[in-house]
Amino acid sequence: MISFEGLRFDLLPEETVLEGIERHGGSLPAFCRQGVCQTCLVKARRGAVPAAAQKGLKDGQRGQSLFLACLCRPTQDLEVERLGSSEAFDARVERVEYLNEHVLRVYVSAPPGMSYRAGQFIQLVREDGLMRPYSIASLPGGSIELHVALLPGGVMSQWLRGAAGADVAVRGPFGECFYVPEEPERPLCLAGTGTGLSPLLGVVRAALAAGHRGPIRLYHGSPRHEGLYLWRELLELARTTPQLELTGSVLEPGEAEVPRPGASAASAQRARLRVGPIDDAVLSEGRSVEQDRVYLCGALDVVRKLQKKLYLAGVPLARIHADPFVAPGARA
Amino acid sequence: MANESLYERIGGEAAVDAAVDVFYRKVLSDERIAHHFEDVEMDVQREKQKAFLTFAFGGPSRYAGSSMRQAHARLKLSERDFDAVMEHLGATLQALNVPAPLIQEAAGIALSVKNDVLNR
Repeated sequence: MISFEGLRFDLLPEETVLEGIERHGGSLPAFCRQGVCQTCLVKARRGAVPAAAQKGLKDGQRGQSLFLACLCRPTQDLEVERLGSSEAFDARVERVEYLNEHVLRVYVSAPPGMSYRAGQFIQLVREDGLMRPYSIASLPGGSIELHVALLPGGVMSQWLRGAAGADVAVRGPFGECFYVPEEPERPLCLAGTGTGLSPLLGVVRAALAAGHRGPIRLYHGSPRHEGLYLWRELLELARTTPQLELTGSVLEPGEAEVPRPGASAASAQRARLRVGPIDDAVLSEGRSVEQDRVYLCGALDVVRKLQKKLYLAGVPLARIHADPFVAPGARA
Repeated sequence: MANESLYERIGGEAAVDAAVDVFYRKVLSDERIAHHFEDVEMDVQREKQKAFLTFAFGGPSRYAGSSMRQAHARLKLSERDFDAVMEHLGATLQALNVPAPLIQEAAGIALSVKNDVLNR
């Protein structure tokens, strides 16, 4: 027997707690439905939680009997409670601009009272309750900058195109993708695909603001040049930031005119475009990565592949911050 | 002392900590078995390797035969998969200069759950 906000029901064989709640008319925020995004994190007020439902959670979260509703197939009675910590803050979409045809830069007012770090992610909630996770590219203190991939049929992203001025809610922040100020000398290696650049830029900005002294290597990957949606800005950043080394990684050269790193002599040494998979770029030339702190964001398969390769190359898992982006999972 | 447990003689938790990354990297690098470890959260998997090593070192472990059986059932592992892992266990301990008799003891403990792991 599962109890949740007045509902009491038995699960069908193989059914998850999330599916059961939805089948009985209840609702829980959920996104990937495969235990990656942790949007459906809930608490067991009573009853034993199967270990499989705590996959990827921190020890502290396990200790509080938190679990992922989308992975939970309990064998005993469970009393499920929504998390109070997912406090919603009122906010407003201030400005929306196109970074390229497929990516928006969205500025959301920073709710007073919400403290966050650049690189973490929030859940953006529309007035009708529609909710999507986005990572923060900006430093605390100003508006919250988000990079939003325009997905065909993406309900939230398509709506955001014309959302300037709209009232929204913000939940969060979540995640551990942020700069660690205790190690100002440590080399940073940041690699991401698509709008995975958003949190990485947040981490770079936080590192520079904190006076980071070690080298910073930033890799942005996309199938084609056109997808390097912030390339000009990044080149400019590399030009004025001697410790920053920038690599654009594309699978095949596109047709768009992309400023070549070599065009600006000052940054030629520290910026390059490379054709090939991003993991090859990160681990190219037998570079030593053992001492790096690593941030990986974007497509799940790329993040997993890079995480494995970097771990095998000697980086401890504890120094790899992996923040995979996943598409919304299909409802059963 | 003669009545010290294997876990104490081998170095306890510190030995597990020293061994886990050596062991997990060997396993992940082995093309014969690496596919069993895809699509698994690496942090979670590393904790499982620690639990396994703690068990093989004769330490305090919640690994029981039944849970080993349950955890591995869907993987449909073969004898060769099991042997590959045993090989990495041995090589890991050798790399850490663990004396041969202790390696044999640890291997014996790991072998004791072979039927559970292979679901037979």
